[in-house]
Amino acid sequence: MARFLIRRLTFALVLLVCTSSAALFLTRLAPGDVTSQLGAFAPRAEVEAARTRFGLDRNPVVQWGQWISRAVRLDFGDSFLYNRPVGPIVVEAAGKTALLAASALVVSTLLGLGLGVFTGSRRAGWLSACVRGASVMFISVPPLLMSLILVFIAARTRWLPTGGMLSATTVDASWTESLADVAWHLVLPTLALALPIAAAFERLQSQSMSEAVRQPFLLAAIARGVERRELVWRHAWPVSIRPICGVYGLVIGSLLSGSFIVEYITAWPGIGRLMYEALRARDIYLVSACAAAGAGFLAFGTLLGDVLLAVADPRVREDIEA
Amino acid sequence: MKTAGAVMLGVIVLAACAASWLAPNPPNRRFADLLYAPPTRIHVGDDMALPHVHPLRIASRLERRFEEDRTQHIPLRWFSDGVLVSAAPDAGAPLLLLGADAYGRDRFSRLLHGSRATLALGLLATLLATVVGAIVGGVAGYAGGRLDTLLSRASEFVVVLPAIYVTLALRAVMPLVLPGSTIFVLLLAIFALLGWPMVARGVRAIILVERDREYAVAARAAGASATRVLTRHLLPAAGGYLRTQATLLLPAFILAESTMSYVGLGFPDTTPTWGTMLQESSNVAMLGDAPWALAPAAAIFMVVLGVNLLVQSTGRAPVQLER
Amino acid sequence: MSRPTPRITGVLVTLSMLALVFLFVRGCPSQDTNAGTATTTGRRGGQLVASARGTPRTFNRLVAGDQPSDTFAMLTQGPLVRMNRATFQLEPWLAEKWESSPDGLTHTLHLRRGSLWSDGTPFTSADVLFTLQAMYDPKVESVVASGVMPGGKPIQATAPDAQTVVLAYAQPSGSGIGLLDAVPILPKHKLEGALKDGTFAKAWNTGTAPSEIVGMGPFVLREFKPGERLVFDRNPNYWRTAPDGQKLPYLDRLVLQFIPEQNAELLALQAGTTDLTQSELRPDDYVPVRRAEEEGKLTLIEGGVGPDADALWFCLDPEQKKGDRRLAFVQKREFRQAISHAVDREEFAHTVFLGEAVPIWGPITPGNKPWFSPNVPRYPYDLAKARDLLKSIGLEDRNGNGVVETADGVEARFTVMTQRGIAYYERGVSVIREQAAKIGIAFEAAPMEYPSMIERLLKCQYEAVYMRPYFSTLDPAGNLDFWLSSGSTHFWHMAQETPATEWEGRIDSIMREQATTVDAARRRELFNDAQRTLAENVPVLYFAAPRLYFAHSRRTMGVVPSVMRPPLLWNADSLSVSGP
Repeated sequence: MARFLIRRLTFALVLLVCTSSAALFLTRLAPGDVTSQLGAFAPRAEVEAARTRFGLDRNPVVQWGQWISRAVRLDFGDSFLYNRPVGPIVVEAAGKTALLAASALVVSTLLGLGLGVFTGSRRAGWLSACVRGASVMFISVPPLLMSLILVFIAARTRWLPTGGMLSATTVDASWTESLADVAWHLVLPTLALALPIAAAFERLQSQSMSEAVRQPFLLAAIARGVERRELVWRHAWPVSIRPICGVYGLVIGSLLSGSFIVEYITAWPGIGRLMYEALRARDIYLVSACAAAGAGFLAFGTLLGDVLLAVADPRVREDIEA
Repeated sequence: MKTAGAVMLGVIVLAACAASWLAPNPPNRRFADLLYAPPTRIHVGDDMALPHVHPLRIASRLERRFEEDRTQHIPLRWFSDGVLVSAAPDAGAPLLLLGADAYGRDRFSRLLHGSRATLALGLLATLLATVVGAIVGGVAGYAGGRLDTLLSRASEFVVVLPAIYVTLALRAVMPLVLPGSTIFVLLLAIFALLGWPMVARGVRAIILVERDREYAVAARAAGASATRVLTRHLLPAAGGYLRTQATLLLPAFILAESTMSYVGLGFPDTTPTWGTMLQESSNVAMLGDAPWALAPAAAIFMVVLGVNLLVQSTGRAPVQLER
Repeated sequence: MSRPTPRITGVLVTLSMLALVFLFVRGCPSQDTNAGTATTTGRRGGQLVASARGTPRTFNRLVAGDQPSDTFAMLTQGPLVRMNRATFQLEPWLAEKWESSPDGLTHTLHLRRGSLWSDGTPFTSADVLFTLQAMYDPKVESVVASGVMPGGKPIQATAPDAQTVVLAYAQPSGSGIGLLDAVPILPKHKLEGALKDGTFAKAWNTGTAPSEIVGMGPFVLREFKPGERLVFDRNPNYWRTAPDGQKLPYLDRLVLQFIPEQNAELLALQAGTTDLTQSELRPDDYVPVRRAEEEGKLTLIEGGVGPDADALWFCLDPEQKKGDRRLAFVQKREFRQAISHAVDREEFAHTVFLGEAVPIWGPITPGNKPWFSPNVPRYPYDLAKARDLLKSIGLEDRNGNGVVETADGVEARFTVMTQRGIAYYERGVSVIREQAAKIGIAFEAAPMEYPSMIERLLKCQYEAVYMRPYFSTLDPAGNLDFWLSSGSTHFWHMAQETPATEWEGRIDSIMREQATTVDAARRRELFNDAQRTLAENVPVLYFAAPRLYFAHSRRTMGVVPSVMRPPLLWNADSLSVSGP
C-alpha cells in the first residue's frame, strides 16, 4: 500500500511539473503578452519594466530554467493582474474550487445514491417513474445550461444570490454569520454542478441496485425473513455500489471540468475563473500555477477514486498491494 | 425510449442538413431597423385568409419597442427563393420566428445554420477520436510489451488532464484572428486529441481478451499478418464498445464547443454556432424579456437528451459526465 | 427495463413541472425595495456597496495609473486642489487658497489649518514636499510625474512654514495649479523610510496592512479581500464639512465589490446586491434598467455626452508601411474626407448606439464642455461628393467590381482591426463597411483580442483600426502625447522625429503655445484652431459620441454623474443612503 501511494505521489509531482511547464511555454508562444494589460498608450519605461519583471525579455527556455530554480524554493513568481506572489492567490482560489467541488460531490452522492436506491429497489409506482424521468432530463442538462437557468431563476425571484461568494454586508459579521453567508452563496453553483451528476448517480445506482436485488443470495435472505429495509441497505446496497466506486474517479474529474463554466457564470472566485482571466491577460506565472493546481486536483481526485475502489472491491485491493 | 431518442436526434440532424432551405433568412443578414425585435406574429384570418404578417416599425430604438403596421398585410411565401417559407425581408418585414439579436440577425435561421457547424464539429471530432482511439488501443492491446506500456502511459496521461482546462489553454494561446474554418480545424484537433484515450483504453482491454481467443490464434497460425488479424478479426469485436463510446463522445464535444464559444474562445461571433448564440444569454437581465434567446440551450439539451435516451436502452447506464 | 410508459410519464411530468416553474418565475412580481421618499441629501450613516471591474494594482497611486488604483486614491487620499468632475472648476482642497504670479511661474498655496491625517498626525507642508520629492525621484519611476512637469522639468517646491508651500514652475503651464489635481499627497511619516531605502516603488503594495495606509481622503481602508472586495470606513479626521454643517463623509462604510464582467455587474445592481456600478450602461442595457426604474428599484440618470468617441484610422507611418502600394492614396486627405462624407452619422447613431449618440467630426466631443469647439469643418452625408473626392485622387472603379482602384490597379481594400466582444464596436464597423461600400471602398472586419490588438497597434501592423481611445484628462495640455507629432499616442504616426506633414507641424506649434499660455481665452482660441486643423486633415475619423447613462439604487442619494472616471464615486464623500 505504501509503495502504491509513493508511486502515485511521484506521478502526481511529475504531472504537476509537466503541466505547469507546458503552460509556461504555451503562454510564451501566444501572441501578445501581459504588458498589453497596461493599455495601448502606456509609457515605454513602464512596459519595459514589466517585461523584465516577467522574464519576457529572455529566451523561453532560459525563463523556464529560472522559474524552475525558483520554484524549488517555493517561489512561483508574481502575478501581473494582482501584483502579488502567485502562490497565495492560487492556493486561495483552489480552496474555493475545492469547497464547491466537495459540496457538489456530497450533494450529488447523497441525492443520487439515495434516489437510486429508492427507484432501484422498487420498480413500480408513479413516483419511481417521475424520478427516473427527471434523472434522464437532468443528465441532459449539463452544468453550462444548468447554471444559466439557475442564475436566471435566481435573478427573477431573488431567492438566491446570483453570484459571487460573499455579500457586502458580512464585513463585520461574526465567524458563523460569514459561514452562513458563504453557504448561502454556495447553493446555486453547487446545484448547477451537482444535479447532472446526481442524475447520473441515480441512474447507475438504480441499475446496479435492481441487478443486486435479483441476486440469489437476496432471495435466500428474503426466505430467511429479513426485513425489507435491512434487505435493501445491509444486503443489497454494499454489492450495488461497486460500479459506482469505479466511476468515482471520473466523477471527480468531471467535477473539476464542470466547475470551470459554473464558476464563470456564477462568478464563484475559484481556479476556473482565475485561469481563464490569467490566460486572457497572458499573466504567465499565474497561468502555470493554475495549470499546476488543476493537475494537482485531478491527481488527488483519481487517487481518491482508486482508494474508494480498493475499499469497495477486494480484487482491486489485492492488485494494489501486489 | 430508444426510438424517442433516435427520432429527436434524427430531426435535429435533418434540420441541420436542410438548414439553407428551412431558414427563412440568411444567417448573417443584419436588419438594421430590427435590433432585438420580438418574434414575428403570424396572423390567420383577420383581414386576410392566408397566414400573413405585419411589418414591424420602431416605436423607440432605445426601449426596443416595436409596433405592427396593421395597414400592410404581407402573406407568407412558400417555396420561393429556395426557401421553405419566408415573408418579405427586402421590404422590412422578415419572418423572425425567434426574433432578432443585438445585430438584427434572425435567431431562428442562425440556430439552424449553427446546428451545422456545431454538429459537424461534434461528429467529425467523434469520428476522429474513435478511429484514432481504436487504432491506438488495438495496437497497444495486440502488440503488448514496450509499445503497450508506452501507449498506455500516454493515454493515461491525457485522460488524467481536465479536458476543459486543456482545451481552454490550447485555444487561448492561439491568435484570435482566425477565420471560422481555421477555428473549426483547431477545435477538431484539440477535441480529437483529448478524446482518443478514453476510446483507446476500452479497446485495449477488449483486444487483450480477444487476442487469445481461438479464432484469433487460428488466424495467426494460418499466417495472417498482424494488421490483418487486428483489422479483420479483433477490432470488429470491439464494435459494440466503439459505438457506445462514440454516442457518448458526441454530446461531450458539442458541450465543449458551446463552452468555448460561450466564453469567447471558440468561433467568432459572426459564425453562427450554438455556443456563439449562447453568448447572448450571458446578459441575464435581457433573458426576462427575450427568453427565446435560450433556444440554443434547448437545442443542446435535445441533442444530449436524445443521445442519453438512445444509450439508455443498451442496458448500460449513461456515464456521460462532462469531460 | 421494459416499461416505457411510466418513463415517458415521468419525463412528461417533469417537463410540465419545469414549465410551471418557468411560468411562475416569469410572472413573479419582483420584490419592491421600500425606499421611501427621498428627503434631503445627507443622511448620516449607512453603508453603500459599489461594484468595481478591477482590483487596484497598488495602493500607491504614484506608481500605477490603472483605473482601480486611481479610484482607490480618490477615496483614501486627497490632492492640494481638486477639479470638480461635474463643473470642471478648480476647487480648493487640501490647499485652502492660493496666489499665482502673473507670469505663471510661481504659485503660493496656503494649506488648511488644523487638518489631520487619518491616524491623527497633523498635516503639514512637509508632506507636500515629501510627495513631490518622491514623485520626481528617478528610482521610483512614477507614472504621475510625466504629467506634472511644466516645461519638462520637475516643479521646485519650498515650504516657508508649516502651512505654506511655494511652487516654482520652469515654464508657465496652461493648467496652472490644476496640474496638482493628479497628485495625491502622501504621508511623510509613513513612507519616508521607504523612500530613503529606495523601496518606495514597492511600498504600499496590495499586501500592505490596512492600518498602514494613511491618507487625507474621506475614507480609510478597512479590509482588502483580493479578488472579492475592498472595504472602507469613514475617516474620522476628514477635513471637509457639508454645506449644512455636517461632517463628511455621510457614509459609515463603503464597499467596492469586484465583479469583473459587465453582465454580472448589471445583474447585481438589479438584484439589489450593489447600489451603483462604475461603468456606464450599454445602450443594450437600457430596457431592463428602465423597467427596474419603473418598478421603483433603480434610478436611471443621464450623464451627458461622453468625452471619448469611437474612431477609425489608418496607419500613416511611411516607414512601417513601406512597400504598401495603398499608402500613396491613403496618405491623401481627400481619401479620408471621402469616407467621412460617405458615412451617414444619423444612421450610425441609430444603429450603433440605438439613437443615443451625437454626430461629431473631431476628437473633442460636446461632452468635453470646457474645450469643445462646434466650429470644426463638418462633412455632411454626400455620396456624390465622396465619389468626386476619390476620383480627384485617381480612385475609380474601372473594372466594375464595386471596389475603386488606382490607375495601376491597386484596390481600396482594407481589414479593420477591432476589439472583439464589444457590441458597439462590431456594429460600428459593420455600418462603416456598408456605407463605404457604396463609394467603392471595401472594409472587412477583423475582431481580435485586446492584447493582440494592442501589440499590433504599437507596431503599426494593421491596415485600419476602429476603437475608442480614452483621453486621460479633458485639458488638452494633458494630452500632448496625442496632439504632438512626436507624441507616443499620436496613433496614426507615432513618435515622429520631425513633423511629417505641414499641418502636423502647425498643430505642434499651436499645442505647445497653448500648453504654456496662462490666459484662458487665448488657450481656447489656440485649441479651437488645433481642432479645426485636425478636422480638415482627418487623420482620424470620428462619427458619433455616445450619451452616457448610469444607474443606481433608489436608496442612494447625492449622486452627481461625471463624464470623467470614476463617474459616480468621484464625490464619494457626499454620497449617502436613505436606509441602513
